[in-house]
Amino acid sequence: MSLQIYDPTTGASGRNVKFAARPKSLAGLRIGLVDNTKHNSDQLLLRIAALLESRHGAKAHLIRKKKSAGAAPHAEIIEEYKANCDVIVAGVGD
Amino acid sequence: MATELASRPVTVADLGAAIELCYTNGWTDGLPVVPATAERIKAMLEAGGVEPGRQVAFIENRQVSITAEKVAINAVMAGCKAEYMPVVLAAVEALADPLYGYHGPATSTGGSAVFMVVNGPIARALDINSGNNLFGPGWRANATIGRAVRLVMRNVIGTLPGELDQSSLGHAGKYTYCIAENEVDSPWPAFHTTRGFRADQNAVTLFAAYAPHQYSNRLSATPEGVLDTACAHMRISAGAGRQPQYAMVFAGEHQAIFRKAGWSREQVQRYAFEHSQATVAELKRANVLPGPVEPADEKKPFPVVETPQDLLVLAAGGQAGVQSCFIPGWGGKAGSQSVTKPIRVP
Repeated sequence: MSLQIYDPTTGASGRNVKFAARPKSLAGLRIGLVDNTKHNSDQLLLRIAALLESRHGAKAHLIRKKKSAGAAPHAEIIEEYKANCDVIVAGVGD
Repeated sequence: MATELASRPVTVADLGAAIELCYTNGWTDGLPVVPATAERIKAMLEAGGVEPGRQVAFIENRQVSITAEKVAINAVMAGCKAEYMPVVLAAVEALADPLYGYHGPATSTGGSAVFMVVNGPIARALDINSGNNLFGPGWRANATIGRAVRLVMRNVIGTLPGELDQSSLGHAGKYTYCIAENEVDSPWPAFHTTRGFRADQNAVTLFAAYAPHQYSNRLSATPEGVLDTACAHMRISAGAGRQPQYAMVFAGEHQAIFRKAGWSREQVQRYAFEHSQATVAELKRANVLPGPVEPADEKKPFPVVETPQDLLVLAAGGQAGVQSCFIPGWGGKAGSQSVTKPIRVP
């Protein structure tokens, strides 16, 4: 005898998130770096910032540390980025 | 109660075909599942006292809304009895608590599982094991309630191994990791009373945790002796250097030692906190903390947890035997903490 069962899965159903417009050039822009708390992540990000400044003309950088790798940056550092940065470098790594 | 189901129905030839379809579609944890028929799903919703469309939880990082219907389907598949549904609903609600921080422990290479402790009269009513073979097989409620939560994580939130779930090792608790506290024999008030609940209320505590680490103490009959053994094992253990919370689960013979000596839960927490501390130097030498060992590090203590209250002291396990265990939490407290939610029985 045939049987009818139901699909247990679901998809993302939330809001659409729009990406910020990408700048055509980094010349003169300020870089924000999101330290994800992993050991040496600050070293990697600072080297990236140095390259962005020396090769692409970025003029400054600001690095702040999240509270946990698994969580979004907390409100205070987001405000700092918004006030002081034009682009952000963020990622998850180990 | 409206019980119109919104999920996609699939017609299959028979029971065997239903089980195989769930494998084919990647809907199982590797074990066979119970086919989620409309009748079984509706019985689950009825027992939970919830409409199918009700949002039980919203997982912010994944932008996923978990409806009661999806919880019910996965609870059926896990093999739950309908009367388990209130516990499963409360646990799924806890997954979305910001303090639990779903995204970190669910995705991390660290490979934690969802450790669940059920307190209150419902634990005994549902026959959730709090005794022999505590973390092993043999009890339907333990086996299927934890499994239901895991299937929700897999099928609804998309936490698939090798994809969203990047665990390097994982552990068997990722199939199910659900126990009750032995409130009858415990030397202490029920655990959920430390979280603001009354003893006669039902509650479930979720804790992102690694596997149980067992130790034996057959040589001492004092609280200090038992805890010295526990602390020796905890000093440089899975969570060392990060200060997550730890659960300490004491089985029957060790419970009796604390009861006889009149030790409170708080005394256990304080003693274990003080005696499980390593020095910064030890942790640096073990490559648990970074940097070279400085002279001052030799005497600088580094507790396993931030505070004594971060040791979740529980009474559970068989009445015979000299084994107890501790369970390291995932990450650090900034990433995830244990949360306790009320279980609402309609």
